[in-house]
Amino acid sequence: MPWYLYLALKQLFPTGRRFPFFTAISVMGVALGVMVLVVVTSVMGGFGSEIRRMIVETQGEVQIKAQNPIDDYSAAIRLLDAQPDVAAATPISEGGVLVEHSKHVAYSFIQGMDLATVDSVFQLAKYIYEGSLDNLDDDSVILSSQLAAALAANVGDRIEVYSPLLIESLKSDTVVLPREVRVVALMEIGHQQLDSSRMYGTMRFVQGIYGLGHSVHGINVRLKPGTDEDAAAARLNAVLPGTLRAFSWQDSFQEFLWVLGLEKGMIFFLLLIIVVVAAFSVMSSLLISVVRKTREIGLLGALGGRPRQVAACFCAQGFIIGLSGTVLGLALGFALLAVRNDIVLGLARATQREEVLKRFYQFSQLPAHTLPGDVVEIVVFTLVISTLAGLIPAWRAARLKPVEALRNE
Amino acid sequence: MPDTPPNFHAPASDVERSRLNVDRGAVPAPPPVLAAAALSKGYRSGDRRIEVLRGVDLTVAAGESVSIRGESGSGKSTLLHLFAGLDSPDTGMLAWEGRPALPPEHRAAFLGLVFQSFYLIPELDALGNVLMASRILHPPGGAERERAQELLQRVGLAERGHHLPAQLSGGERQRAAIARALINRPRLLLADEPTGNLDEKTGDSVIELLLGLCAETQTALVLVTHNAAHAAKTGRQLFLHNGVLG
Ligand SMILES: Nc1ncnc2c1ncn2[C@@H]1O[C@H](COP(=O)(O)OP(=O)(O)OP(=O)(O)O)[C@@H](O)[C@H]1O
Ligand SMILES: [Mg+2]
Repeated sequence: MPWYLYLALKQLFPTGRRFPFFTAISVMGVALGVMVLVVVTSVMGGFGSEIRRMIVETQGEVQIKAQNPIDDYSAAIRLLDAQPDVAAATPISEGGVLVEHSKHVAYSFIQGMDLATVDSVFQLAKYIYEGSLDNLDDDSVILSSQLAAALAANVGDRIEVYSPLLIESLKSDTVVLPREVRVVALMEIGHQQLDSSRMYGTMRFVQGIYGLGHSVHGINVRLKPGTDEDAAAARLNAVLPGTLRAFSWQDSFQEFLWVLGLEKGMIFFLLLIIVVVAAFSVMSSLLISVVRKTREIGLLGALGGRPRQVAACFCAQGFIIGLSGTVLGLALGFALLAVRNDIVLGLARATQREEVLKRFYQFSQLPAHTLPGDVVEIVVFTLVISTLAGLIPAWRAARLKPVEALRNE
Repeated sequence: MPDTPPNFHAPASDVERSRLNVDRGAVPAPPPVLAAAALSKGYRSGDRRIEVLRGVDLTVAAGESVSIRGESGSGKSTLLHLFAGLDSPDTGMLAWEGRPALPPEHRAAFLGLVFQSFYLIPELDALGNVLMASRILHPPGGAERERAQELLQRVGLAERGHHLPAQLSGGERQRAAIARALINRPRLLLADEPTGNLDEKTGDSVIELLLGLCAETQTALVLVTHNAAHAAKTGRQLFLHNGVLG
């Protein structure tokens, strides 16, 4: 080992001293920064992958859309089913409607489902918290929790649905009455955007209020597990007729995903500042060490040490502190992630909010999903910044002339 | 061999050349360990210039011991720094074994340094401090460790090798510093008031040790001291006065 690395290690972990206090403080600062970064990016990543799961479980991974309603959708479904990427496909029709219940009026997005095949693509039953999907027929609907709240409607209530077709018919002076339907179930997916104002009915019901006849608006596709959605969408586009286009869920939720990414990026950036602050403390303790050791540094020069070796000695100390801090921080971070549910549950219990937690998140567990790329970014950034923190002290030390340093009594 | 290093100053005249014993062709005697001719050094202080050294001449033969005394502020430390190649003279010339003073990494192999305030590295134990001087030249092997242990024993610190400087007395620290100065088998040892921080009795024994070790290893010694009794033990006693050695 070159002398400057040996000395760097010895200065951080002196011989015979059991606990290197100054080093421990610097390392702890870096470790805390790394720990917070790991925990927060993992939990944010966890929410991200929960959202992904929710979208995929209620929309399928790929959606087939067309300019005009698709008449011969069973042919398209047969074609899709024959594709190697596809696990299942189900037709949907969708659109906006006005709904009324005891003087409450709300705008809602309605999705019509083919009850025979919908189960193979969507896992709606999982998100129903009141009533049952089994009761759904052509005269009933399922409401999202927020729509139900807006309408003050509950399972068993009757609500009135006004479709755009109704307005069309007003122009031609024919009177079409709103459809009265029963609420058979309430559901909540667990995300603001997905829960906002939605209802689900049978395919026939939606075809009826939209005057679609036997055509549908689109086909939702579930892929075989582990298939890349974008690549699969591209492969499907190659075989589908020109009137149909496949979109991955990422395409459909592009802006939403962009906002999610932006949120994560901003938080990541803000938390990096913790590591920068830790690096400043590393720098100040190394600077103090350079000033305190002026004469010893002069002596190293007198013994034949070169200025850049002296500099390397202090840069190495920054790097070693960064490395120890990173290792400790990763260990603390993953340990914290491992017990995160106990912490959240403990907090919820202490404040007696266990039920609230379950109702709001659909999961009583805090999601966490650590992306290897994030960890690599954290590690590289921390190592670089703490080595840089050693640079100014190193430069100060290298600038010391042995004669002047040795005279400094 | 690189070109003239910055602290090498060409001889001003043939007289200097001959005095320095350089380039004299077939000379039976080996060149002196240290040869200095007409070294001068001054410092600016404000808009005044203080001439500290005004033409110092000195030749030290292999194994010889020389003491330099002088008033405080007379320039003894300045002179020693010039000898060590840590500072460059304004004029004059310096040679180590007949060659110009070498770049820093060669210094470590050629000379050892002992200072008034020891300058041991506080994080390293006595053995680590002794080995540090050899570590700078190359990573130490078994032979170096053995020699370090031997030197520690020779300076009476055989049992204290794993003690930190803070756990040693002043005299013991200076002994460790002497062992460090000798680890690379230098040809020349420069000591600047090595007993300045020690009580009389400890100082006496440190000087005895220093002189004994240098004689044993045929290492030339230049000893700066205020102590007449210590100076008397060296082979040659010199005084620095008004910027010249006499
Ligand atoms: N870097 C410097 N700048 C200005 N003056 C200096 C510098 N270094 C030394 N001097 C001056 O040079 C003179 C000689 O200093 P030096 O340290 O060599 O004396 P000394 O003989 O070793 O004294 P002492 O016995 O007290 O150690 C002093 O007057 C000192 O103030
Ligand atoms: Mg002095």
